[in-house]
Amino acid sequence: MKISKKIIDNLKKGGVDFYLSVPCKLLANMIDILEKDKDVYYSAVPREEEGMGICAGAYLGNKFPCIMMQNTGIGNSVNAIVSLLQLYQMPVVFLISYRGTPGEPVGAQGGMAKITEDILQTLRIPMLHCSSENDLEKISIFSKHAKVVESPVAILCDFNLMKDDK
Amino acid sequence: MNRFDLLNKIQNILKDNLVICNIGLPSQELYKINDQPNFFYMLGSMGLSSSIGLGLSLSQNKNVISIDGDGSVLMNMNTLATIGNRAPSNYTLLIIDNGSYGSTGDQRTFTDENTSLKDVAIGAGCKNVVECSGDETVNELSKAIEDQNNSYVIISKINSGNVQIDPIPLNPITIRDRFRKFIGIVKYL
Repeated sequence: MKISKKIIDNLKKGGVDFYLSVPCKLLANMIDILEKDKDVYYSAVPREEEGMGICAGAYLGNKFPCIMMQNTGIGNSVNAIVSLLQLYQMPVVFLISYRGTPGEPVGAQGGMAKITEDILQTLRIPMLHCSSENDLEKISIFSKHAKVVESPVAILCDFNLMKDDK
Repeated sequence: MNRFDLLNKIQNILKDNLVICNIGLPSQELYKINDQPNFFYMLGSMGLSSSIGLGLSLSQNKNVISIDGDGSVLMNMNTLATIGNRAPSNYTLLIIDNGSYGSTGDQRTFTDENTSLKDVAIGAGCKNVVECSGDETVNELSKAIEDQNNSYVIISKINSGNVQIDPIPLNPITIRDRFRKFIGIVKYL
């Protein structure tokens, strides 16, 4: 819970006040925290691409949105990222559980893991890669950066960082 | 009645509300009929009009109308489940259902065959699902906007057919900023 709490605390410190998720077991603690938090909006959504649309609307309505998802969700969302969030220059934080990184027990997750950073680089999305607890301190300033540059940004949380966060 | 006729008929309702308008001909026709700063024209991301409107209605108190199409809702059908569980009372989804992919050459969609978006919306948990003719849409949309306690999904069954219009000349940041100025967020314009 310590890692998850630190991530949410830093996102809130960065101004994020609207959260969506397509669940992942590595995000489960964060979802628990957000469901109990009365200061921010939280909902699950069925699909990441749809979540990008809801985040865009939330930004138009003056919220600072974050969508939490597995890295697979980036694959589901490329057109929405490019032709909505980037076209209209909308700041959104992607909080990504980085499945398929070392420690991952499911071999099939390796495929998207191999290309996740390449996709984000191709999309010119600023990335913050969190592999240790110390990295989490950078989340608040990185989130604020999204607003300054009016762009989606991606925070990648390694499997091994999240897996023992009981 | 086709989409252009319908958009003309509902102008008086649209002009006082926040409108998210579907990509392609729907936005181009709306722009041609009467461009307003409270109209957010989609220039990409087909399928997401209902979702953008939902996020907007969850984030502020003004009424929001998402103008969507049957082809676009078929592309993002999970949106109906999210609306069925999360839509606030200031949200109205208007699906202009002409049974065709208008912007790409009027190819038939599945609503012109076996699929009923009304049944899908009800099954997905949406409340106040109304299927009506183009002529009835003015009245149904007015009722939905006046009702401060409920969200609505209106499926307006009309004929296919388009008016050929040029692409919208506004750049995306102009559309974004004047829309947010209308809401009261952007102060610098």
